[in-house]
Amino acid sequence: MLDAFSRTVVSADAKGAAIGSEDLADLRKYVADANKRIDATLAITQNVSCIAADAVAGMVCENTGLTQPGGHCYPTRRMAACLRDGEIILRYVSYALLAGDPSVLEDRCLNGLKETYLALGVPSANAIRAVEIMKIATVAIMTETNTGRKMFKGINSGSGGQCQDIAAEAASYFDLVIEALS
Amino acid sequence: MKSAVTTVVSAADAAGRFPSMSDFESVKGSFDRAKARLEAAEKLASCLDKFTNLAVDAVYQNGSYEQANKDKCVRDIHHYLRLINYCLVTGGTGPLDEWGISGMREIIRIQLLPTAAYIEAFIFIRDEIKINDVMSQQAETEFKGLLDYLINALA
Repeated sequence: MLDAFSRTVVSADAKGAAIGSEDLADLRKYVADANKRIDATLAITQNVSCIAADAVAGMVCENTGLTQPGGHCYPTRRMAACLRDGEIILRYVSYALLAGDPSVLEDRCLNGLKETYLALGVPSANAIRAVEIMKIATVAIMTETNTGRKMFKGINSGSGGQCQDIAAEAASYFDLVIEALS
Repeated sequence: MKSAVTTVVSAADAAGRFPSMSDFESVKGSFDRAKARLEAAEKLASCLDKFTNLAVDAVYQNGSYEQANKDKCVRDIHHYLRLINYCLVTGGTGPLDEWGISGMREIIRIQLLPTAAYIEAFIFIRDEIKINDVMSQQAETEFKGLLDYLINALA
């Protein structure tokens, strides 16, 4: 597993070069943005059930057949598995966001996920739709552009408006999930 | 690769939980030192050749080692300083442990290399070179800490 720092080290080692000024600029930005990054990660961890439940509910609403007998979310045991997977994906996205690098998400969550879903008969189009909704919800919460109650705490004195860049980074991790399932 | 962040993430993943407030605190704590670390890494990168040559020249001055091996010695010292540069970036000893120390004893023993020469070189860098001229006090402390770590591992 890598983070923003060790990713720089691994690529420098491949060249056999020491890490100088240019390579350090990105890392200095990562350190400077640490509080925003923590706030953004908190936006996920404090709203996990809400994000996952909304995404699965949205997916079902768009395909009502899913919860009917014979549907992929019938009976409730399978619906519960769906909610659980939503939370697992959010957990790995939150790790990747904190680390500033997608390797933990790729190695521990996405590697083999598509094959597993194929073997279990999970329809990937629906799974992808749920991930898309999670992405939209997460970005909206992080940037404080969601409607309804305030879900972004900003305990490190950040505001959602300052988290635009990091929300975009989080969106890119959801895109990796979508790509892996496609 | 072990670093402050990956250690926290690994522990959270092993327990299957989301990163907690104490995880965030420990990540933040490591960032408080990051400024000095990154400065040390930057300055070390620009002085890598200089430090290496000064140290190797000092070690070979007393004539107790074969001049023929000098180039190889330069290469190795340079290599270790590069790994220290990586450690300063990651904020942990991961790069030294994984790429410099594990297996090192075996290699040194089998090639009949004088470990003492390496130790002399790093002690020279630690004690004789005026590191303060190129980096701040805090950065120097971070750099010397890793030099000590390496010297202990070689000894």
